[in-house]
Amino acid sequence: MRGNLYPVVIAIIIGIFVISSGCTDRPVEKVPVKVVAAGSLLVPLADAEARYEALHPEIDIQVEGHGSIQAIRQVTEINRPFDVVAVADESLIPDLMYCPVQNGEGNYTDWYTTFARNEMVIAYTANSRYHDEITRDNWYHVLSRPDVRVGFSNPMLDAAGYRALLVTMLAGEEYQDWTIFSRVIGDYFDPPLVVENEDDIQTVRLPQVLKPLGNKIAVRDGSVFLMSLLEAGGIDYAFEYRSVAEAQGVPYIILPDTINLGTDQFNQEYHRARVILGFPRFSVIGSERTGMPILYAATIPSTAVRVEEAREFLEFFLSEVQKGGRGWPEPLDTPHEFPWNINTMAAGG
Amino acid sequence: MIRTIQTGLILLMLFIVGAGCINPAPVSSSPAVTVPVEDYRSWTLTVNGTARQVYSLAELRALPATTGHGFAVSTVGIKYGPYICRGVLLTDLLERAGGISQGDQVWISAPDGYLWVFDYDQVQGNGFITFNESLKEIPPPPLRILLAYEFDGSPLTYNDGAPLRVAIISDEKNVVTEGSAWVKWVDSIEVHRKTQ
Repeated sequence: MRGNLYPVVIAIIIGIFVISSGCTDRPVEKVPVKVVAAGSLLVPLADAEARYEALHPEIDIQVEGHGSIQAIRQVTEINRPFDVVAVADESLIPDLMYCPVQNGEGNYTDWYTTFARNEMVIAYTANSRYHDEITRDNWYHVLSRPDVRVGFSNPMLDAAGYRALLVTMLAGEEYQDWTIFSRVIGDYFDPPLVVENEDDIQTVRLPQVLKPLGNKIAVRDGSVFLMSLLEAGGIDYAFEYRSVAEAQGVPYIILPDTINLGTDQFNQEYHRARVILGFPRFSVIGSERTGMPILYAATIPSTAVRVEEAREFLEFFLSEVQKGGRGWPEPLDTPHEFPWNINTMAAGG
Repeated sequence: MIRTIQTGLILLMLFIVGAGCINPAPVSSSPAVTVPVEDYRSWTLTVNGTARQVYSLAELRALPATTGHGFAVSTVGIKYGPYICRGVLLTDLLERAGGISQGDQVWISAPDGYLWVFDYDQVQGNGFITFNESLKEIPPPPLRILLAYEFDGSPLTYNDGAPLRVAIISDEKNVVTEGSAWVKWVDSIEVHRKTQ
């Protein structure tokens, strides 16, 4: 009897071992790939994340949004281990990341690739005052009316904010009306924002605390609040990125290329306007913001934990950007170059 | 019999070792944030007003404390909180350093290079944009600026801005304020006089 039971006991134990060990159907732990990005990239990144994770169920793309400077600072100053950095101003990567890693080796990065462009527009709704008469030729007349409320992001916090000021300054040259800035924005702050013109460069210096006078102007921390205020009727018009207006599904006025910061062709013209911020919010970067085309750029920091996975996701994301989508910045025509695909390190796109 | 027990024990060992497959170690063990091992005994807060005062964390905690509701939102709409915040009111610290007057500004900064500037009205709790939990704008209730060292009864974590951060507090629950003013890791408060 005992001899007959012995193989049965062993078989039962082996069976329990195999079933309970879970080795036959081992659950897959997802590999996190951490992405830090500008707020205006959150819509396309959310779309790309869903598609990529459907193709690669073993990967967990984790996206965190900030203003572009703050996004880079997460890596360079707060020492967080992000695998991909994507920002709305290509100049920030060489300015802030081509520098030695704290307590490490090499620079935070030595390359980046540009992948999309954007432009400033005037967003509005069907409830905006005078929406049925505003055009790309008269927008500054409409916005300067005392009963029209205008909004833009805080220039201290959001590139779209100082870009709103740059566009309005450039409009003076475009329409040969040097009162546009003061009538639309400048006169409605305490103290007033005044444009100085020296050596053919227009400059506005912001006070430390930007205080709107009355209800004509609304300044909010970021696009999400500005668009919410627009849709609630708290403002009639908002200076915004075209992709943000499209993502929100609101109509917008397209501005002339000479002032919309949207094309390389007018780089020199854009350079003729600049904003000097009220204080250096971040010690790593100065307070001067000069007009230039809005170009998106991405890199993989040398401090990335998941380098291979980050490369694969970045290549996928940029290929998705090429296809485009609602609320996505416009893709560039130039092919992407990655240092792992070419023999020399690329400085720029 | 002995042979049977031995075989059973070996198989049991295999079972126990193999059972580890059920809960494999996470693929990623990297923390979300690099958290240095902090010892705040050497940390100080400097308040530069008419008088210059330097506080250790223990000295700060020994000052009269204030508690209030705090709830912040980032520039891209991520909410942080709600918290029960405990700390020292900015107005109390400034009063101890000589006070401030209309037109003065208060510059609050941290060693990570972040700086935020408050004007006189803001120091009094005025001029902030406030939202409800759904991030719909609401009229601001009375607000105060706190230098917080505790959230929800516990010392701040490094990620929360330990040992001291700005919090905009209210007596009402679920009043959300813009997070740009919630400076983390505060170590310096400077009064800039109107004439400067």
